[in-house]
This record gives sequence, C-alpha cells and structure tokens, in this order.
Amino acid sequence: MLVETNDLTKTFGEVRAVDGLSVAIPEGAIGLVGPNGAGKTTFLRLLLGLLRPTSGRGRVIGHDISDGIPVREKIGYMPEHDCLIPEMTGVGLVSYMGRVSGLDKNTAMSRAHDVLQFVGVEEERYRKIAEYSTGMKQKVKLAQAMVHDPALYVFDEPTTGLDPRGRSEMLDLLRTIAKTSERNVILSSHLLPDVESICKHIVILDGGHQIAAGELKALLSGAGDRLRVDVRGDRAAFGQRLREAGHEVEVGTTGLRIRRRAGIEADVFRTARAIGAEVRYMGSEIRSLEELFLELIERNTRGGA
Amino acid sequence: MSISLPTYTRRETPLLGRSKRVGAIITTGLRRELRRPASIVVTGIGAALTTISSILIVYLAPFLFPGQLLDLSFFYVPASNGAILFFVTLMSAVVGSGLIADDLHSMALTLYFSRPITHGDYVLAKAAILGPLISLVSVLPLVITPIVAALLGFFPWDVALAAIGLSILAGVLFGGFYTAATLFLSSLTTRRAYAGAGVFAMTFGLTFPAQILASATGNSVFLYASAWENYLAVARALFGAPQTTIDWPPALAILLGATALAALSTYARMRTREVVAT
Repeated sequence: MLVETNDLTKTFGEVRAVDGLSVAIPEGAIGLVGPNGAGKTTFLRLLLGLLRPTSGRGRVIGHDISDGIPVREKIGYMPEHDCLIPEMTGVGLVSYMGRVSGLDKNTAMSRAHDVLQFVGVEEERYRKIAEYSTGMKQKVKLAQAMVHDPALYVFDEPTTGLDPRGRSEMLDLLRTIAKTSERNVILSSHLLPDVESICKHIVILDGGHQIAAGELKALLSGAGDRLRVDVRGDRAAFGQRLREAGHEVEVGTTGLRIRRRAGIEADVFRTARAIGAEVRYMGSEIRSLEELFLELIERNTRGGA
Repeated sequence: MSISLPTYTRRETPLLGRSKRVGAIITTGLRRELRRPASIVVTGIGAALTTISSILIVYLAPFLFPGQLLDLSFFYVPASNGAILFFVTLMSAVVGSGLIADDLHSMALTLYFSRPITHGDYVLAKAAILGPLISLVSVLPLVITPIVAALLGFFPWDVALAAIGLSILAGVLFGGFYTAATLFLSSLTTRRAYAGAGVFAMTFGLTFPAQILASATGNSVFLYASAWENYLAVARALFGAPQTTIDWPPALAILLGATALAALSTYARMRTREVVAT
C-alpha cells in the first residue's frame, strides 16, 4: 500500500480537520477530492510529515508519517500557490531544490536540465523566474518536484491558472509521470475532469471523513443491480409513479436510479408516456466523477444533518 | 527507464545527509547576497571603514588617549568603536532583513519545508548566512587591529594574541545577538523594508533613549535596555578595562538571553507556517 491510515485524527482546537480517517490507498495514481474544508489539505500535510497526528497512525511509502524527513525524501510536492523564488533562474532554482533534497551539486544541475527539458522549459531556463508566464511557472513547480526523482508525487491543483493549452500540456506531463513504473501520484484537485483523466483510484473526503474510496471505474459504473434512467420532464413525478408501481427508486440530481427487476424497462416507458416525459437514457449506471461527487456529498450532508 | 522524452531518464541517486542540504542553503544564500550590489557596498564599506578607523585609533592612541595604558585593556578602545554599531545595524538591515521575509513574501517556505529538512535546519542555515557577513564588521576589524598593532611594534605579540581571542569572543557575542534579532524581525513580516526598519528601531530606539534616560535620571539601570551598552560592559570586563556604568554579568545574561529568545521565537514562527495552502 502507498498510504495506510488507521483512525487518523488531527484537531485544531475544537475543529476536527481529519476525523478518524482510515484509508488504504494502493500504489498508482490516486485522486484526492472533496469540497473546501473536507480535510484534504490537512491530510496532505500529514502525509508530508509536516503535522503530527492528534491520534491514530499512518504509513506513507513504508514510513510512519511522523518520521518527517525520511518521508519527504521520497516525496515530490508541487504546491498550488506561487512559491518560486523570483530572482532565481529556472535552472538555478530547480538545481538548488535538488541540492536541498540531498543531491550533490553536479547531479542536481544535471537533473535540473533533464527535468526542465522534460517539462518543456528549455530556452527559458536561464531567464529569471520573475519573467516567466503562469504556464512556465507551473512547469518549473513540476520540475522542482521531480528533480530528486521521488517515489511519490503530490500535486496540489496543478492546472490552476492555466489556459486550455497549458492545462492540456500539464495533464499530459502528469499522465506520463503517473504511468511510469514504481512512481505514484496523489492528485488533489477541484477540477474533477483532471482527476478523472489521470487517476485510477480515488479518495473522496468530506468533513474530515472518507466518504468513498476505490477504483475510479468501479465507482463510476455504480452498482450492477441498478438501472440509470435520464428523463426530460418532471423527474420527481416520474419517480413517484414508479414507486407507486412498486419499484425502488432514487431520484438524483441528474437522473433516476432504479433497482433492476423483471419488467422494469416496460414500466419506465409506460410511466414516461403517462406523464409526458421523454426517456433520454436507460441502461447501466455510468456517471461522471462530478456526478458521483455531488451525489456523495449530498448524501453525506443529508446523513450528517 | 525513460519517462517520455529521451532527455529525461529516471536516476535514483543516493541522497546526501542533512548537513549537506543545510550547506546548500548556506552557500546559495551567501552567493545570492554577495551578488546584490547593496550587500556588496554595505559589507565592503562597513568592513573597510571599521577596520581602518580601528587601526587609526591604535596608531593615534598616544595623541587621542594620553595616559591610556598600552596593555590588553587598550583594545577595549577599538572594540567600542561606534562604527561597529552603525555598520552592524546597517548590514543587518540591508542583508539580513530579507533572509526570511523574502521567502515569506514569495511563499518559497513551502519549497523548503516540503524538502527533507527541519524548521531548525532552515533557521540555522539563515543564521549561517547572516552571521559570517555581520562578523566581517563585528569580528574582523577587532582581529586585524591587534595584528597591525603588533606589527607596528606598539604591543608585544602575546598581548596582541590575547586581544585577538577576546575580540573574537566579544564580536561573536554582539554579532550573534544582531543575527538572531534580525532573523526574528525578518520572520515577522513579508516586507524586507519593515524588517530593516525594525533593526534600526531596535538599535537607535533603544540605545539613545537608554543613554538619555540614564543620564537624565542618573540611574544606569536604563542602559541594560541597550544591546550596545550591554556589549560594551562585557567588552570592558573581557579586556580588563575599568567598569564605569553597568555590571557585566547581568549585561552578558541579557545579551545571551535576548539572543536565545530571538532564536527560539524565530524557530517557533517558522513552525507555525502553513506549507500546504488551505
């Protein structure tokens, strides 16, 4: 396992930022999503060994999370916010960060050139970072995370502020890293399509808890015993009619989920005709990550309330 | 194994220890400071003027201080050279004020603290950048002066050597205080100008009022508020010059205590910094 936590809790005064979190994240590319205040940031800080847990235990790439330095030796962190030293050149900063990570001077410089070429900052590497565009700064942030060749990359909102072309380039780079053997990625992002395009596994947090985790494909395909029906028209009335016909129906934000049983398809079309609705889709449940996310958050909020 | 482009190859290399990582911060920091024109000018002028004025004091001692004994106690005179106070303050403001404030401003702290170093390593490295530069004014002139005095034949070498040792002690004490205090002020703000102003305020806002209050009230206890007066009291004791105003043991305790407090406060400030933005 890449990350394992057991009843991990971190409190700040009265606030339980991470609340009894138990996750088992496998190796590979993992998406970490959740609404603001879900505990993602605190979880990342715990993973980086920058916070000591209030209670509970956790292991990251074979180390206890309270070990700090050995953990950070194996992690490359790309922060969301601007953090580059403006008066340094691209190659100067990346090699400097390599040295602070423990590379010797020559190796750090050689690696800095390699990773900057990889991310596509070539001619500009000798210019001061203050003169870089947002896209180039994002690439340099990626390069500094790569320079010491860590086993685990933690990307925090890596496409923030990028134009569509820059975003596509960045996603291509992240995808390439995620596909590399023995290299793992934790991607924290609000842009769910980004997570969907890179990650194989996902962990969804809300209120410091894990509300879903698992293989993305399995989560998005939903339960096999459910039928997804998208209708144009009055969804609530549609659902009510089906319930009256003895079906188990859940009306979601985008469609209806109905427990499969014999004759359900005929009942769906009969109901549609009766209330004048149009069936746009009927079949296996295939959700986008955004739909899954909204559904889980709503369910969690209802449960909490 | 290649990730994608032929120019990037995965290479797992053994990482060097923490001392090398801290060393990298120090050497890069010193190189950056020594490339800044303001740092070069202030360091150069400060070291040169302090050294020259201290040597002149020795050379002109018979005229300037008639009756002054030409023994170890004489070296209190260059150690109390006001140019030291002025240039240590100026160097702290110009060089040291941005050492942490600039990292706070650019949010580069995130880069440092997500690396395999501790908060203590970071603070230590910053102190190791500023300390040697301040010592070019607080220690170097006091070391050169006895050597020149011995070379000119004004003092025997054994006295000069003792003066060198004591000068290093006094200079390190004073420079250490300014290093710690400047880094603390730098850790309080994202603007180097504010930290620089704080250094001046600390020096001149305490030294002159303390002297004025002490002289107006006739109570020398006010002088303990001034780092410079505390340093002078310790320097007098070290060189065997007659004590005149305040006692050296409390003065030493105040200087050491303030230095330790500033260093610990800086460390505590760094511990509270958010690395992963919320």
